[in-house]
Amino acid sequence: MPPLAVETDALVKKYPKVQALGGVSLSIEPGEIFALLGPNGAGKTTWISIVCGLTRATSGHARVLGHDVVADPMAARRVVGLVPQEINFDPFFTPREVLRFQMGYFGVQPSNDRIEELLAALALSDKADVSSRELSGGMRRRLLIAKALVHRPRVAFLDEPTAGVDIALRKDLWNYVRKLRAEGTTIVLTTHYLEEAEELADRVAVIDHGRLIAVDKPEVLLRQHGKKRIRFTFDAPVVAALPARLLALGATLENGGTSLSCPLEGDASEVLAAAAALPARVVDLRTEQPSLEQVFLALTARVERRA
Amino acid sequence: MNTIGFKTLLSKETRRFLKVPGQTVAQPVITTALYFLVFGFALGGRVKELDGISYVRFIVPGLVMLSLIQNSFLNTASSMFIAKMQGTIVDLLVAPLSPGELLTAFTLAAVIRGFLVGSIVWMVAAIFTGFSIAHPLWTLLFALMVSIEFALFGLVVAIWSDKFEQLNLIPTFVITPLTFLGGVFYSAHMLPEPWATITKANPVLYMVEGLRYGILGQAHSSPWVGLILTGVLTAVSGVAVWVMLARGYKLRG
Repeated sequence: MPPLAVETDALVKKYPKVQALGGVSLSIEPGEIFALLGPNGAGKTTWISIVCGLTRATSGHARVLGHDVVADPMAARRVVGLVPQEINFDPFFTPREVLRFQMGYFGVQPSNDRIEELLAALALSDKADVSSRELSGGMRRRLLIAKALVHRPRVAFLDEPTAGVDIALRKDLWNYVRKLRAEGTTIVLTTHYLEEAEELADRVAVIDHGRLIAVDKPEVLLRQHGKKRIRFTFDAPVVAALPARLLALGATLENGGTSLSCPLEGDASEVLAAAAALPARVVDLRTEQPSLEQVFLALTARVERRA
Repeated sequence: MNTIGFKTLLSKETRRFLKVPGQTVAQPVITTALYFLVFGFALGGRVKELDGISYVRFIVPGLVMLSLIQNSFLNTASSMFIAKMQGTIVDLLVAPLSPGELLTAFTLAAVIRGFLVGSIVWMVAAIFTGFSIAHPLWTLLFALMVSIEFALFGLVVAIWSDKFEQLNLIPTFVITPLTFLGGVFYSAHMLPEPWATITKANPVLYMVEGLRYGILGQAHSSPWVGLILTGVLTAVSGVAVWVMLARGYKLRG
């Protein structure tokens, strides 16, 4: 059996005042696009930093393609590429020079073709020979992505790769990520744009307060934690109290009584009949698909309540 | 062993200071040339001879030592500290570069800068005082050892420092005083007691004396004393840097 792309066993990271990770175990298959979601300070970056060897775990183990990141750090690092969350740039050098260095650091003979390919993929070709100081924020972020990928890592960690990148380029990046996966690269990404995770990820993990609260395919999480809803709009506000059978279905009046929202599970005819019986005319009707955002908010709110 | 990685880092560190030659090469050369003019020629007229050597010739090894120390220290210290502050250190920390490879590449680039500036300073001085070197091997050996030692020391200080202020603390309060009091511009013999004895605790004195022996062929202390002392300091600094890098001290969280 080929080794897992990334595997962490009960990873704990304690700082003097806070516990950033409280025992996170995750297994990521080779060739997956895996999204780590969680509120700010949930422990996503700490988890990535430990796997990439930038931070030491207090306890637990992390392996990349079977190489333990502490016992065999050089082998683990050779197969990894990291887009750090914090933008960094070296004002002394141009993007082209920076990419040459980055290839070399990973023991790969620098190749002009590969550098040109990445500059083009990240829309940096016309800035290849200017000082990194002259790049805009979005360009610096893209240069970070190019640096992380230039040596063809087998596992790429992208910590908020599209923060501050405009929408058109973001779509290009998504396509590039899919192309990388098609070539066999495992991608682990964190993002604040839930539509990004929904669009790209094969599996999603939700982390909060340093603990893993859910891992699954987005469609499974949506099915388990998301609720499809039906929404009626009326020609006049409904002022009377809702009938018991609508309340039992979880329906609520919104917008001053001019609309009614109700979770939809299985049979819709009961809701339709009950809504039609209300003392107002239905002028619009639509259903709302569950989104990862709802699921995310529901999952993290649950932790919040427990905490 | 990541040979390509090591060579890449060495080339990057060397090109970093060559990109700003005005600051990294020309400026130290101008400063040292000014010392040479002011102390060598203006004062030299009054001092005439020291230990049987014309004062202008006497200060040449000290000035070369001054530029070796300052430039090799500054190269590693500024490069490492800037990388930490700008976050580009992450590029090196995630790469498969061992502590030994990082240490050697940073140090070697700094030695190259020290040698570059040191030899230009020597050549400028030699135009006035002559190009002869009494013991070329001792000269090279001292130049090399001292550059390595201060390059390593620069790494220790840069890794340890969290703020610019801390980075400047060591050059201002340790390196500059020890260098100037290490007999760059005078012979330690000229000092009255107790200073003549106190000066003997200054390691830079033996480095300057060592280079003076190499270039001029005479010094007050044996070059072996300087060599052993510098060797011990270099070994201690080397181990310190290696441990800092291997443990990720102030580098890996």
